Amino acid sequence: MSLRYLLQRLGTLLLVLFGVSVVAFSIQPLIPGSPARIRLGVQATDENIATLERQMGLDRPLVVQYVDWVGDIVLRGDFGESLITRTSISSEIARRLPATLALAGLALLIGLAIALPLGIFSALRPGGKRDLAASIVSQVGVSVPDFWMGILLILLFAETLGWLPSSGYEPLSDGFVPWFSHMILPALTAGLISGSIMTRFVRSALLEVLGQDYVRTARAKGVGPRVVLTKHVLRNAAISIVTIIGLQMATLLSSVVVVEIIFAWPGLGSLALTSTLQRDYPVLQAAVLMAAVAFTVINLLTDLSYVLLDPSVEYA
Amino acid sequence: MTRIRLVLTTLALSLLLGASWAQERGGTLTAAWAQNPVGLDPHATSAYSSYQVLGNVLDTLVDFDDDQNLVPALAASWSVDDDGLVWTFELRDDVKFSNGRDFTAADVKYTYDRMLDPETASGNAWRLGAVESIEVVDDHTVTITLGSPNTGFLGKLASGSPVGIIARESVEDGSIDTAPIGTGPFVITDYQPGTRVMLERNEVHWRTDADGTQLPYLDAVELRIISDDSVRRSALVTGDVDWVISVPPQSLPELEARDDVIVDRSAAPAYWYIGVNTEREPLNDVRVRQAISYALDRGQITEAATFGTGVATQDPIPSVSAWAFDYAPYDQDLEQARALLAEAGVESGFEMTIMPTTEYEESIRAAQVIQAQLAPLGISVSLDTREWADWLDTQGQGNYDTFVCSWNVLLDPDDFYYAQHKTGEVFNFTGYSNPAVDELLEAGRVAEGFDTRYEIYEQINQEIVDDAPYIYLYNPGNIQAYRPNVEGYTARGDQTIRFVRTWLD
Repeated sequence: MSLRYLLQRLGTLLLVLFGVSVVAFSIQPLIPGSPARIRLGVQATDENIATLERQMGLDRPLVVQYVDWVGDIVLRGDFGESLITRTSISSEIARRLPATLALAGLALLIGLAIALPLGIFSALRPGGKRDLAASIVSQVGVSVPDFWMGILLILLFAETLGWLPSSGYEPLSDGFVPWFSHMILPALTAGLISGSIMTRFVRSALLEVLGQDYVRTARAKGVGPRVVLTKHVLRNAAISIVTIIGLQMATLLSSVVVVEIIFAWPGLGSLALTSTLQRDYPVLQAAVLMAAVAFTVINLLTDLSYVLLDPSVEYA
Repeated sequence: MTRIRLVLTTLALSLLLGASWAQERGGTLTAAWAQNPVGLDPHATSAYSSYQVLGNVLDTLVDFDDDQNLVPALAASWSVDDDGLVWTFELRDDVKFSNGRDFTAADVKYTYDRMLDPETASGNAWRLGAVESIEVVDDHTVTITLGSPNTGFLGKLASGSPVGIIARESVEDGSIDTAPIGTGPFVITDYQPGTRVMLERNEVHWRTDADGTQLPYLDAVELRIISDDSVRRSALVTGDVDWVISVPPQSLPELEARDDVIVDRSAAPAYWYIGVNTEREPLNDVRVRQAISYALDRGQITEAATFGTGVATQDPIPSVSAWAFDYAPYDQDLEQARALLAEAGVESGFEMTIMPTTEYEESIRAAQVIQAQLAPLGISVSLDTREWADWLDTQGQGNYDTFVCSWNVLLDPDDFYYAQHKTGEVFNFTGYSNPAVDELLEAGRVAEGFDTRYEIYEQINQEIVDDAPYIYLYNPGNIQAYRPNVEGYTARGDQTIRFVRTWLD
């Protein structure tokens, strides 16, 4: 992997972010409604709205607003202030990012803990009882909407069994147990769904490799099933599986929006939704930009990991 | 044996303690809010969710007691000159802001001036619309001069935290947006938009209970924002929170049957209505609006929209109010409705839209029933459901046939009619104009004495119900629920939420 390749990828990343920033900004005049009206409510006069929009800087040409906004981000790393709460967006994001990352991370782990064993079991004997059971489980997981799954889990684990808190968030600084116990149900909600999706991919990735000639050869040579699986099948399926994990990580960052809303989880997803509903443009644009950064970085990391997994991959 | 004795001793002790200390001091109440506060600067927001927080942080000059009588708060007493123009307020001299500074007359002037300043663009400046000037006489005396006499003026000064007194330094150092400084029982110590607001006891608060103990009893209130109805219910049932701001009406029967939840229901000084655009054909014809009103079965609408927690009505003021008129000419009568449509020349019906909002699901449920009920008249109603920001914009531009919405926190009869129906008033969204009503509305503002005013507003009510720019549907209920260990909390008639006398058992 050459330095040139890395620079090239970083260049593409910047280009993508620039594109995203333009799109995120151009939506502004297209969405009906205004943050000034949200703040002032039903009882606002047209003069009030005009005054407030002027104070918010929304009366300036869009291009001027855009240049100002990008300038602040590039030069000072500053996303500006929320139009609704007038608080710093950068510190709001800094506060929420760890919550979303922790939630998405645990959800991914849960997803993998489901997908890898289920996928492997069902691929080893396609059409067998285990395969059928696994495909029923993953079919259910894929079909159940996340908001419903979340509420069912709350009913079971919080209300009926009383094992876990129903919703909310405790910062890690208040202790590991409260922090973790609040995270289990939302992570389980996102993880069960993501695990179900990944199970199917893992299964088909493995099946493809299992059908290869070298697997048959290995078996013919008398290599034990365990060694075939770990040395020949899993290693060769690794690239497809890592690709799926990368995609799922990116998908999780957006699917946790609904989960965050249900569980009153103070992450970037609930911030994005609130700012959309309140037409808090700078917050929304910052959230979109952060999501774009996460997507592209995850993609880059996925691509780079191929080199480690497969010596024949080389980036020049 | 020993164990039993220990238990008995503990029991006896706790009984003793319970008897001598009815109100427990300390503890943190965890309360679930449904909606995000839209900022916390009282002059920069119009959201109830913000005011419901600020009601525990800011005090007003005058206040309502639990029975809706005006009582002193920051103002110890007041008087008005013979012309009814100059109001003089004597302020309490024992009040401090939560930062320790003395509260004085200059703070009253500063707060009201800021609210009225067009640059502040406050959506609540209309509450002080009658005010011409505010003068500081001395540290504890302030006079407010009105442009014209206005009987409802005191009520406006008591209308909750929109007119709460703030400290100037809070504006100057920018804390007004996240933690405004007031004289109220609690101080905002942490505000995480969309997640939580932390209120802690204001150690220098001026209110005391009957025994002379300083209020509030609680150390702190943690407000969590849980937007999902059913999750909020679960949080209450599991005891994760002690108190919830509202419960989904459909789970009321189940909650009321439980012994670990107390449901507090009261009539709200509010109403839901259909706003009719009186400038569009054929709705500009009063007979068409009356026909719509005759076609409705309000009981059904109320049942569907509120699951039976509201009370169907044909005029705005709830029956429990002293100002209730209970004027009800529109019991469902399809024959009458058809006759009126025929007179207006639209006997075969017409098409119209009705605009509810996703912000309030009950508005959608109400609109669906209205749609069905108007169908037999040949009025083909299509639902134009909009998300809140969009709804506000469309309604603000007058770009609708009819909409479903509510007015809240209305106390004086002036609140129910003036801003909504006087010709050209800013909240007269429907374009309604009736010179007789305009004249009566002005008369109601200067008239004195309950009986005189009651007569005036009874006429106003009748005129407006007959003209039907608003087609009234129902008075909603206030429903709050809490755990049995929450004591000293009552739902208030003015829809403010106050934890000043609340304690945890």
